[in-house]
Amino acid sequence: MKKTIALFATAILMVFQVAMADGDKVVKIKTTAVCEMCKARIERTLGLSKGVKESNLDLKDKTVTVKYNPNKTSPEAIRETIINTGYDADDQTANMKAHDKLPSCCRKTAAPH
Amino acid sequence: MIRYLAGVFFSLCYFSATAQRISGSVNEQDATSKTLKPITGANVYWAGTAQSASTDTSGRFSIPRVRQTNLLVVSFVGFTNDTIKIAQESELEIVLRNDQTLKEVVVRGNANAIDRLSPHQTEIITTRALAKAACCNLSESFETNASVSVSYSDAVTGSKQIQMLGLSGTYIQTNVENIPAIRGLASTFGLNFIPGTWIQSIDIGKGAGSVVNGYESMTGQINVELQKPDTHDKLYLNTYVNSFGRGELNLNLAHQINEKWSTGLLTHGSTLQNRIDRNKDGFLDLPLYSQVNVINRWKYQSDKVMAQFGVKALYEDRLGGQQNFQREMKGTTQAYGFGATVNRYEVFSKIARLFPDKPYKGLGLVLNASLYDSKSYFGLNKYNGKQEMLYGNLIYQSIIGSTNHSYKTGLSYMYDNYNERYQTLPLLRKESVPGAFFEYTFNHLDKFVAVAGGRVDFHNLYGTQWTPRLHLKYSLTDQTTLRASAGKGFRVSNPLAEYYGNLVSSRAVVLKESIRPEVSWNYGASLTQEYKLGEMTGSVIVDYYRTDFQNQLVADMEDPRYLSFYNLNGRAFANSFQAEVNLVPAKRFDLKLAYRLFDVKQTMDGIDGQTLLPRMMVSRDRVLFNAGYALPYDKWKFDATVQWNGKKRIPFMGDMGEHSEHGILPEMTSTMAPSFYNLNAQITRTFVKWDIYVGGENLGDFRQKNPIMHADQPFHQAFDAGMAWGPVTGRMIYAGFRYKITR
Repeated sequence: MKKTIALFATAILMVFQVAMADGDKVVKIKTTAVCEMCKARIERTLGLSKGVKESNLDLKDKTVTVKYNPNKTSPEAIRETIINTGYDADDQTANMKAHDKLPSCCRKTAAPH
Repeated sequence: MIRYLAGVFFSLCYFSATAQRISGSVNEQDATSKTLKPITGANVYWAGTAQSASTDTSGRFSIPRVRQTNLLVVSFVGFTNDTIKIAQESELEIVLRNDQTLKEVVVRGNANAIDRLSPHQTEIITTRALAKAACCNLSESFETNASVSVSYSDAVTGSKQIQMLGLSGTYIQTNVENIPAIRGLASTFGLNFIPGTWIQSIDIGKGAGSVVNGYESMTGQINVELQKPDTHDKLYLNTYVNSFGRGELNLNLAHQINEKWSTGLLTHGSTLQNRIDRNKDGFLDLPLYSQVNVINRWKYQSDKVMAQFGVKALYEDRLGGQQNFQREMKGTTQAYGFGATVNRYEVFSKIARLFPDKPYKGLGLVLNASLYDSKSYFGLNKYNGKQEMLYGNLIYQSIIGSTNHSYKTGLSYMYDNYNERYQTLPLLRKESVPGAFFEYTFNHLDKFVAVAGGRVDFHNLYGTQWTPRLHLKYSLTDQTTLRASAGKGFRVSNPLAEYYGNLVSSRAVVLKESIRPEVSWNYGASLTQEYKLGEMTGSVIVDYYRTDFQNQLVADMEDPRYLSFYNLNGRAFANSFQAEVNLVPAKRFDLKLAYRLFDVKQTMDGIDGQTLLPRMMVSRDRVLFNAGYALPYDKWKFDATVQWNGKKRIPFMGDMGEHSEHGILPEMTSTMAPSFYNLNAQITRTFVKWDIYVGGENLGDFRQKNPIMHADQPFHQAFDAGMAWGPVTGRMIYAGFRYKITR
């Protein structure tokens, strides 16, 4: 019983440590995000992908700031994830199949703004 | 809800009368400088169409005209939605009014929420909290909640019961989407019939409930909201296996047919076909079982009408008893067996007339018909029960003058046809209860709210029943809320269905007299204080409730030879005190510590007159500690709950076989069951479309040593499996995954 609690506590602590490891790098990528829904979608998808610590999309300049562990992922892999979510990443264009699955308000064809 | 009329000021500039697009800007007015500030990301769409746009960083939008409508809707979180009738104009300047009345104070994304606005003391278990404990159905959904606890009833049937305010779950009115669901004969296994993956949220109200849903709520009410056809994921698949060999599959589908119609299908199948007897008493620790459970519903939503129709069907089969028992041995003494087959069917409909320009007004009709049919045997004893139920509730709500004074009123009808038979004893009952109710709410700026309600019901068997209830809420500050409630409750008990687990014994069932309805008064008060400690936030909740019974069904098990039922002859009450501290020390990190004290007593008819005794199987003290931590986006989620259950009184369980053979009456001495810990923990890993989870229940591996009295002689008169006060099964590990396609 006590053992199990201790084990659990260690598990939580380990995660804390991993989350706080330094040597993380930051990359800024320009996307074609349109609205809050896009922001949430991109941030979540990136946040759940390997090696990504934090992702924050600014809708004003459509740029997503990603904090990542360079041992686990790379800016290329991060751009790949964005493309496969249905958005452009810098000069690379979105995967059309993924793009067409987005709700109409999140597509590039949504009314210009 | 929307109290203030939406305020919109838009100036029109005519550019071209023939423009095919409409463009403009959406702004908010700064409260101090009165200047206009653009809103980024506001939604602009044509009412009832999919044609939409959103504003850019300078608040600008552009949207093509459509033929279907001229109503343009502008919305943004925190602002009042607005609808504008568009004529020839092509350039708009829209100013959204800050929504002072935003009622979404309850953040459903949090694991545990307290409804701050409700005059009833309400706790909400959200989907997020439900995901903390992966398993399995409603009976297990309260694991991280301090107010409701699961009680163990017996060591054979696998039925689980809940407790609140020190009293059994039968005193809670359990509704599914405001339709009385788990009542009557369904109280035996009813909680096992609502799969966890179907549940969107659970509201737990402590103390007397609203009169709108009937008179049966005595200690509280639980309302379960299921996944809705128009909001839940297009597809949701959940699989689960555990170390006992239980497997489970849940599939939820939702489909939006057109703008108005949507349909949803919720399905569940689960089974356990593995014979386990870890405590080596010769009896299966868990019954073998299979369950198939389906709901299909259709929803129609327009501006003026909201309607839902649906069907539910359930089949469950259980088989328990001795290790070597086979179905064919039923009714023989070759081996002791338990079996139960339940069929349940239901059709339901809900129709509401909405008044879009008068949001405070509404007219709703709920109609529901169900059939519950169960066939059980316990060794040589047979018990069959059938219940037909019809329910109708017509509710009208409106205001008197202003929204400070609102009311709900309506008519209800309830019909129950019970047909039970235990051995040769028939129990037949037909209830037909028309009723009327009125509930008045006074609301002063959400600071002070008073709800006074009453209902009168004309019971065909027990005469006219008058049920008054009162709720008060006073917010001293934004952080401090006081609540008080008082009310009467009334219900007709079903002894055999409610003490089903005790039928797995050699006790002779004795109905000493005709059982009268149970009548109780519940009084309570609570204090909710939210606080801040530097960056940390949290809340403290203290509450006290008392339930006083005017009549109660007494199930007397003091004498090990009998299970006697009779009406209360004297006093019976339950005092419940609870203190709960919640703390959020860091983002995505929750801690909860709760302590509960029960003082529950009941008058029993003894050999030498009445005695007031502490109620059996109720721990005086209970402590719960829950800790949860999640990484951003819930990439990893950790959760652990420790419960400590104090000592509880159990009936005389000594070896009295010899004494009785010598014709000596045993002394009616009760014993105390020891206290014990229970630890559950779970880890979830989330991926973009799916989650995997691993967890364990009862990780401390605590087990009641001999949950079955005289397990070696099940046909002996001292055999009793209904005295389980703790976990019968030991440590259990489970794993599963969830897969989602969002709309």
